[in-house]
Amino acid sequence: MKERMTVALAGQPNSGKSTLFNLLTGARQHVANYPGVTVEKKTGYFSDGNRKHELVDLPGTYSLTSYSLEERVARDFILRSSPDAVLNIVDASNIKRSLYLTLQLLEMEAPLVVVLNMMDVAERRLMSIDVAGLGKHLGVPVLSTVCKKGEGPESIKSALRELDEQKAQTKFRMDYGTLEPFIKRLSDALAGVGDLAKRYPLRWLAAKLLENDSAAIELVREQNVSTLAVLQEACSLREEFEKQEGQSADRHMAFSRHRACAAIARNFISLPGTRKATLSDRADRLICHRVLGPVILLAILFALYQIAIVWGNDLAAMA
Amino acid sequence: MRLNEMSPGDIGQVRDMTAAGPLGQRLMDLGFYPGADVRVVRNAPLIDPVEIELDGYHVTLRHEEASWVEIEAV
Repeated sequence: MKERMTVALAGQPNSGKSTLFNLLTGARQHVANYPGVTVEKKTGYFSDGNRKHELVDLPGTYSLTSYSLEERVARDFILRSSPDAVLNIVDASNIKRSLYLTLQLLEMEAPLVVVLNMMDVAERRLMSIDVAGLGKHLGVPVLSTVCKKGEGPESIKSALRELDEQKAQTKFRMDYGTLEPFIKRLSDALAGVGDLAKRYPLRWLAAKLLENDSAAIELVREQNVSTLAVLQEACSLREEFEKQEGQSADRHMAFSRHRACAAIARNFISLPGTRKATLSDRADRLICHRVLGPVILLAILFALYQIAIVWGNDLAAMA
Repeated sequence: MRLNEMSPGDIGQVRDMTAAGPLGQRLMDLGFYPGADVRVVRNAPLIDPVEIELDGYHVTLRHEEASWVEIEAV
């Protein structure tokens, strides 16, 4: 086990990443930018016994494509800095959507620990989650926390300690159905190109090339050998698939991932039969009402005016 | 039917999502895939944007963006 680990924190927006980051690192954090781009990079340290680990907060993203800067930054960090562990924060009350990112992190063969956050919200919505079953299915440690209440650091630290032993486990592998033979052919072709096989997970790279991902094409071009043939192969495989299935590979992959997420959610999460309207649903119904909404807004503004200006003035006059 | 043609309260299921490029990728990433359940929650006072409940969570889109999503009424 390494004396000092680099741990990356990945998750979708609003999953509680920053709460966990602050909980683990306390005040010891450092804010800078990722090299060359204006995306904030927060790093901090936390100790486990007498070991000190570095924690890097990745930008919150729904996915890991190369369309947005944030997603590219998060992806590049995982690929190029190869962190010793990636903590994937998942909003437990919204697992189905969150797993979409988790599946992509698994495809990148990142050393993953899944942290189900906001378990209190999930419980309030009467959801029950088979945490152990989910962990077994994904082949990575899965733990549940409520970061807001300060729960989590100890179980996360012990999961990180055990991560080395977990490496042998077979991880969940996304099945892309009819696209699989295409991925296989392309990743075999990629294996012979420069040192790609040593640098990147080939299956992931092949899938990304079939998606026509510009940053993945760059990764191949960076090689010091001729890459024209393999990029042409990728292009013709992509066209062949589209002709065969009547659907582009990137859509096929995104839809397959969503179906996989839905299947996992069906197997490991049980929801109450009828969904109760949550507190924010009920509040929205009033505050966002076409007539009532503006009335409430005016009432709040009037109250603020009354307190700050009228009563404030009276107070000042008394003094 | 297209998602932008639905009225608040209507429910349906995504049949297809036809946008390409960055918008298509973002809509796919947000969970607009064939089979996903949708319910239109409400329109903003000046029509755009529209709030949609998608598979149990809330997403807010412009009507133009919603027009790329084809819906099957259930």
